[in-house]
Amino acid sequence: MKISRRAALKTIAAAPVISRLQAGVPDLDPSTLLALAEVVLPSEADRKAALAAFTRWIDNYRENADTDHGYGVTRVRATGPSPARNYPAQLAALDEAARATNAPSFAAAPLDRRRAIVEAAIAGAKIERLPARPTGGHIAADLMGHYFNSSAANDLCYRAAIDRDACRGLAGSESPPKGGSYGDPK
Amino acid sequence: MRVSDVGLRTSAAVHESDVCIIGGGVSAAMLAEKLLELKPGLAITIVEAGSRIFDVENRAKYRERSLEYGENAWPGDFIDDQAGAGVISRTMAVGGSALHWGGVTNRFSEEDLTLKSRYGLAADWPIAWADLERHYCEAERRLGVSGEPGALPEDTRSEPYPMAPMPLSYNLRVLKAWAEKSGLPFQGTPQAKNTQPYGGRAACLRCNTCEICPTGARYSPDFTYKQLLDAGKITLHDQTLVRRLVKSADGTRIESAQAVRRDRDGERVEYRAKTFVLASGYAWSAHLLLLSEAANRSGLVGRYMAGHAFIGAQIELDATLYPGMNEQHSLISRQFFRCATGVPFVRHDLRVWESSSGRDPRLKDAEGKLLLGDALLADWRTRTVRGAARVRAYYDVHPSKESALTLDASKKNRWGDPLPSIRHVLDEATMARKAATREHILGVFDRLAKANNGRVFNVSEGSYLDHPAGGCRMGTDPATSVCDSYGRTHDHRNLFVVGSPTLPTAGCTNGTLTFVAVTLRSASEIARS
Repeated sequence: MKISRRAALKTIAAAPVISRLQAGVPDLDPSTLLALAEVVLPSEADRKAALAAFTRWIDNYRENADTDHGYGVTRVRATGPSPARNYPAQLAALDEAARATNAPSFAAAPLDRRRAIVEAAIAGAKIERLPARPTGGHIAADLMGHYFNSSAANDLCYRAAIDRDACRGLAGSESPPKGGSYGDPK
Repeated sequence: MRVSDVGLRTSAAVHESDVCIIGGGVSAAMLAEKLLELKPGLAITIVEAGSRIFDVENRAKYRERSLEYGENAWPGDFIDDQAGAGVISRTMAVGGSALHWGGVTNRFSEEDLTLKSRYGLAADWPIAWADLERHYCEAERRLGVSGEPGALPEDTRSEPYPMAPMPLSYNLRVLKAWAEKSGLPFQGTPQAKNTQPYGGRAACLRCNTCEICPTGARYSPDFTYKQLLDAGKITLHDQTLVRRLVKSADGTRIESAQAVRRDRDGERVEYRAKTFVLASGYAWSAHLLLLSEAANRSGLVGRYMAGHAFIGAQIELDATLYPGMNEQHSLISRQFFRCATGVPFVRHDLRVWESSSGRDPRLKDAEGKLLLGDALLADWRTRTVRGAARVRAYYDVHPSKESALTLDASKKNRWGDPLPSIRHVLDEATMARKAATREHILGVFDRLAKANNGRVFNVSEGSYLDHPAGGCRMGTDPATSVCDSYGRTHDHRNLFVVGSPTLPTAGCTNGTLTFVAVTLRSASEIARS
């Protein structure tokens, strides 16, 4: 989904989540976030919504909360420090890398240069896999992990309204999800 | 009585009732409900070490936190210092492990009850199949099970399921057509999930998170407790840990249960009752008996700890699927619940789920090239052209006498009581056939795959026994069992054990329905007593 950069910046900046980051987690610059999203999220995605969801996730993160210990899981673990604590330094490093290429900032750098900077940053952070949830390893990987593991991304991949995380009712579940183009199983 | 002084005070509040049930899980809920129907006005007290989590109005929020952050969907459902080695669920709360079970309600088969007489293996149960089958029907009514009749004549039922089956999602319909090309019959698993409003609970909304059902469609024991409490029919003491059972001078009866209030700084409570029932699950029932040196004339308390082993795999297949439609529902084939005599013994269930395994989004491609944005999406789409199914077989294994829960003196709770340690040991016959069992199951997976140009990958074997049971096994001989077929302990005529601990063997499919069925059978005898 295409949106104008101006409209996206306005929406993200206006999102209350940005200014309500929990204590100890500094605000993140919306223009840098959008510039990052343009590199790591697919052009078909609703990047505005993906960024809003990501920042909302950061905003509502709780440190030291008990994690799932369902059947078969014997240890009760707690969530760690907010991954977002690492993000300001990581975003600053992206800016610094951009300035080294004579761009005024990461957000102002051309797309191909931003891509190269992000690739180097992910390699430098030694991230090998898409994180299932943000870990703080690098904001670029965390943003990708948050989006690509979402129900919205699942729908985009399959080009169908599966709506994995919603309560959808039983009616109609025998049929392919809307958008799915496949017929009745034989 | 040998009770540590830690946390105890000189006097205890005394609480009296007709029946004192120790443990507040699904077995206790079903038992209390039935006892009150058989004997209205019976004074029943249920004592549970964990807390009550009755805030159903918050479950949608808990579900969201669990999905988004991996947070515990049942906040506060465990006790920090009440755990043990080999205990596979930390949940200690009113409702027990069934707070977050998947709701699968498969029945065992007649073979489970006659392993010794049929195959010369393990032990027979002292219950006839027709008797157990009748109680399966009752358990299905009380839990609210939706299901379809079995495909095999051996799975004949004496009553229909209380509710129409859960509709197969598009994915499961595709997978059923695929799986049955192998010649094996499949059906949707029966489940304690409402396909219509039932038991005061809503119909399923296909939220895909059955471990925390925001609508109450999946049966959860807290609903039964709430209903009984609202009607003023039971007394529930939660956050109260029973530490010892106290025997009469001649040892033939249990006189009281000594407990501490966890929420009141260890305040002591003494429970007196005509009948005591241990409904504390496979770990804590045997644990309390060992702490109390009760019901153990046979030396078999904590012995024959059972469960079933499992092998799983993924199969890539020629089918377009949409992962996420209903990952909680599955198909089952009961084809291998039976085994002919005179051939190598192998029994197992066979389950099929939708899966996205091997086709999740990835950061790097097969060559290690970093993927960003459009490239990552394109790679993902390429890998989802073919579908995948998750398959798993729970297979029948039998415990040896050395398969034991013991008290670990090196690990104690805050009251100074040693905690349990469970070490599963399989009997010689099971070990001798293990390789052949594995070969058979992998052959079945292969048969499924080949029926549709598929490929088996990611084979994995369980590192623990699932749906654990045993530790207080039932039998007719006091020398080789802890309790009779109703759970009445051979040593103390007013002490019963119900549910999972009483099973001599743990079958080859999910256990909860069976735990409930044998508990309901015990209820009739407890009411008579």
